[in-house]
Amino acid sequence: MRNRSRLAVFVAAMLLAGAAVAKEHPGKEYIERNGYQGPSTCEAQGCHPGTAKEFLNTVHWKHASPVPNVEGLEPGKEYGMKNRIYTMCNGNDIVNNLKEIFNPATGKTKFSGCNSCHPGNHISDVGSVGKEAENAIDCLICHASKYDFRQRRASEDKTGRVVMGQDRSKEAALSVGRPDVKNCMVCHESAGGGVLLKRGFAFTKETDVHAKNGMVCVDCHASKNHRIPTGFDPNNWASDGLRVSCEDCHQGTPHKDGDLNRHVARIACQTCHIPRTGGAIAKDFTRWTQGADKFYEPTTLKKEANETTPVYAWYNKTVRNEPHFIGPKGSREEKGSRIYPFKIFEGKAFFDKKTGNLLSMDFAPPMATGDALAGVASAAKTLGIKEYEPVPGWQTIYFGSTHLVTKEKALTCFHCHSRNGVLNFRALGYAEQEEEKLTNASIYFDKMAEQQKEDW
Amino acid sequence: MRKALKVKVAAAMTVLLLLLAGGVAMAEEMKMVGDVVKIEISGPDAKTAKATLKDTKTGDLVTITVNDDLTLDKFKDHRIGVGDEIRCKYEVKDGKNVSKYFRKTAGC
Repeated sequence: MRNRSRLAVFVAAMLLAGAAVAKEHPGKEYIERNGYQGPSTCEAQGCHPGTAKEFLNTVHWKHASPVPNVEGLEPGKEYGMKNRIYTMCNGNDIVNNLKEIFNPATGKTKFSGCNSCHPGNHISDVGSVGKEAENAIDCLICHASKYDFRQRRASEDKTGRVVMGQDRSKEAALSVGRPDVKNCMVCHESAGGGVLLKRGFAFTKETDVHAKNGMVCVDCHASKNHRIPTGFDPNNWASDGLRVSCEDCHQGTPHKDGDLNRHVARIACQTCHIPRTGGAIAKDFTRWTQGADKFYEPTTLKKEANETTPVYAWYNKTVRNEPHFIGPKGSREEKGSRIYPFKIFEGKAFFDKKTGNLLSMDFAPPMATGDALAGVASAAKTLGIKEYEPVPGWQTIYFGSTHLVTKEKALTCFHCHSRNGVLNFRALGYAEQEEEKLTNASIYFDKMAEQQKEDW
Repeated sequence: MRKALKVKVAAAMTVLLLLLAGGVAMAEEMKMVGDVVKIEISGPDAKTAKATLKDTKTGDLVTITVNDDLTLDKFKDHRIGVGDEIRCKYEVKDGKNVSKYFRKTAGC
């Protein structure tokens, strides 16, 4: 009954949303008359006042924020893709800044850099402030449904500065609205060196029940003043201080079955409802592979969305952060911990033998010649590191697994409570006798037998 | 008895024929990496498009028919354009190379 009510509310919301989409943008006439000049147009005539300034203080612009839940970080310092490194992305906005890379084998060039997704024009770059930065914001890349991506290309201006283009056409501006899945995925699907590699999920009706029900990213990641809520992925550190969770909608006792509801206290929703993961499983930044265009890329083992299985661990939403491991903290004994699924990724890169720390890499040298150590040297120079001794090593990363949600294929009793079940109870802190009991069909036999009878 | 045997043989032959026919109809999946040299799409409402890729290994030009909405949308707003390197899987159906997977190789 409760689920039905929720469904009715959702359907009503979707209908209202549909009506809202169909509603004409109040600024249409102004844009038709005056064209589009960027954020100043959005803020003209008292519409969206102060929005550009407000946006400069978000993670999407700064690529960094205070990170209170990760151990081993400098207090007071902000972290994010601006400055952090790990072995999925061994560079960052600072050491692997967007630039034109020359390939000596072909004489051709290409533009590449971690900040190529930044919604500015690169002259006003990650974390920049002031009027010029406000004017450089590319509002339409997130808000226009008719953005022409031929305009969003990097090029050099007359003074040799690398500039990222934007579509500021009237046609794009007239198509503004709430961001659709496409607006988000333009950047988020290509992270980590290729399509759907990093987090390994596709938000489509075939792969996610929310997408199947017509929902879009911002239905859950609903922004407040351009601050966008995120979950507690152990490897996604920066946040706007707002959080999103399944429980925001699916509260209290989300199942009809009381036994399933009993699990909610210690088992995260994702554990049963996201039984698969995908994307890159391993990457080697010490060994770059030459592609057809004669440029090099780090050697990467790639899998499709839903092609791999997660690993399960206790997680209290704080993060163990060591040079060779980034992953969840938590335990069975700790009341705030729950069992979550994680996408496991292993990356190889260079570590400094002197400090044990992971070294960062400027991708330009290895991309051009395959010389990974030249990339480390270039990054060290940028950061002012004079002495280091690079040695190859591996790092294990636990990525949060919070998309690819399924209702029909959710795990049920026997998937976990059987000898060949998906949970490794011993590794999760259960004694041998407990494991024996927890992996026995007696737990669910009568109930499943009854269900089987009803099904047939 | 003899009639029953005939029926069984006929049934077995039918199953065999169906299996063989199925085998013939089952298209082989082809894979390639290539640069986009041309995209032909008839407008914003197009439900199909043709993309010509230059195979990076052989240099051959291969024309791929694309029908999936996501890739068509990327053609329409030029997220995929001429010069982009593509990893593609396709099946030959009725003389056409029909795309099953069409993604840019590059990321950030």
